[in-house]
Amino acid sequence: MRTVFDIAEAVRNGTLSAREAVLESLRKIKELNPQINAFVEVWPEEALKRAEEIDARLAKGEKLGPLAGVTVGIKDNILYKGHKATCCSKMLANYVAPYNATVVEKLMAADAVIVGRTNMDEFAMGSSNQTSIYGPAHNPVDFDRVPGGSSGGSAAAVAAGMVPAALGTDTGGSVRQPASFCGIVGIKPGYGRISRYGVVAFSSGADQVGVLAADVKSAALMLEVLCGRDKNDSTSLEEPVPAFSRSFTADIRGLKVGMPNGFLDNLGQEVKEKIEAAAEKLKQLGAELVAVDLPHAKYSAPCYYIITSAEASSNLARFDGIRYGYNDKNAKDLTEQYELDRAPFGLEVKKRIIIGSTALRAENYKACYLQAVKVRELIKQDFSAAFKKVDVILTPTSPTTAFTLGAHKDNPLAVYLADLYTCQGNIGGLAGISVPCGNDKQGLPVGLQFYGPILQEEKILNAAYHFEKAL
Amino acid sequence: MILEKDNAARCARMAKIRLTPAETALYEDQMKELFAWVEQLSAVDTSAVKESAAIRAAYLRPDTPVTDESLAQTLVGQFSDQKDHCVKVKKVL
Repeated sequence: MRTVFDIAEAVRNGTLSAREAVLESLRKIKELNPQINAFVEVWPEEALKRAEEIDARLAKGEKLGPLAGVTVGIKDNILYKGHKATCCSKMLANYVAPYNATVVEKLMAADAVIVGRTNMDEFAMGSSNQTSIYGPAHNPVDFDRVPGGSSGGSAAAVAAGMVPAALGTDTGGSVRQPASFCGIVGIKPGYGRISRYGVVAFSSGADQVGVLAADVKSAALMLEVLCGRDKNDSTSLEEPVPAFSRSFTADIRGLKVGMPNGFLDNLGQEVKEKIEAAAEKLKQLGAELVAVDLPHAKYSAPCYYIITSAEASSNLARFDGIRYGYNDKNAKDLTEQYELDRAPFGLEVKKRIIIGSTALRAENYKACYLQAVKVRELIKQDFSAAFKKVDVILTPTSPTTAFTLGAHKDNPLAVYLADLYTCQGNIGGLAGISVPCGNDKQGLPVGLQFYGPILQEEKILNAAYHFEKAL
Repeated sequence: MILEKDNAARCARMAKIRLTPAETALYEDQMKELFAWVEQLSAVDTSAVKESAAIRAAYLRPDTPVTDESLAQTLVGQFSDQKDHCVKVKKVL
């Protein structure tokens, strides 16, 4: 599969038509989607029509956008006007988006072609894409394994070569972990970089739109298109957006890479060896490895689960069957109405609503929710202090490679713990990127993660770009 | 300790989530385990963190009226029951 960069350049200079680019994607989807289940819906006629419009504009001498003819899949929690957006939940099974998310507007303004919506864990709650009403997505590297989650469909679609890039959302690692499991690049920018207008909310203090792509340069170009202030999202930042795809330096000599003390202690041997080899490679490229202390980072996962579940219990209250969601006609009173209308939620979603509302109850608030948000401040302070000493911080993306479908079914805590390295980025509002750093003995990809300071995505892109080139 | 006096059934009831007996049994252990895991946060010394710093300032956009007639019609059109540009919803109180 050609990269985002190659396709856009070829379409702009007329050596490839947008129609051909779309047909190539549609062929791949037709061939592989029945086994992988990455896309839950594809819009072939519409994508071809849009490609023809792009080709016609080029023929008239118009200058095309930076993503000319690039086919993109969007996660099923992103609104695209007139199309279903179900969050892969029975609750929104028939919901049709009445307007475009800002990220969709931006993709279209850049002349990208959206070809379909991708599979995900229900309401983005999960790390394996197994809670979708459409059934699980499969890892293109090994169909018996999960692609990761919650943006598992987006990652699988890119890894299988169905599309050169896809959008995901990342609340605790949902872009970076599936990128790691599928052997591609996944980036979550810092909090506030990309508008969330038109993205179904899970945890408003942590949700971010992210990009999955086959290579770092493509991810940088996509990010460049998507970032920026949006008047419809009050949390989006009023900051200039650098030309990420043109900000790579000639080398990374002198780059200070933070290695958090104790981070590799509980890793499996194979992942540990790959991360150590990656650090060695960075050293050979001229980077300086510096030990850093993040004493509160070990609390990230429990902190994350309390805060995000609390926010989810509030955000998902809107699915009350009146404005949105299922409406049961048999309720006898208000309490029963709520209970019956929320029945279509899946097990994981129900559990997080219960955890969140329990953490917020008056008798638990101080010890549970407030303590978690205070610990979050300490974690943020740890990272701020570390970034005074180093340019980027290196960690594994996930402690394991992709696991088999159905594994950990009876041990959800093990899955929550596996988010340790990624959820720190959401707790701290940091930018994080996962880049492949080799395969284990079973041929399964291992991901390396770089964290960067707030509003300095170019630093992690640069480190990842040079690492990717050297691997 | 959270859930010391509580149980999954009560937590679910308070959250307006109806569980089947099988779901209640499943959640009972999972939630106990989860809240025991979260308990480690209580060991962290947060005395130096002010509550006001921990709870982020609310971000509010300007309260400017926006007119978008076509969007309003689209939104109203999504309700199955409507009359005179109003939506009809089930009586809940």
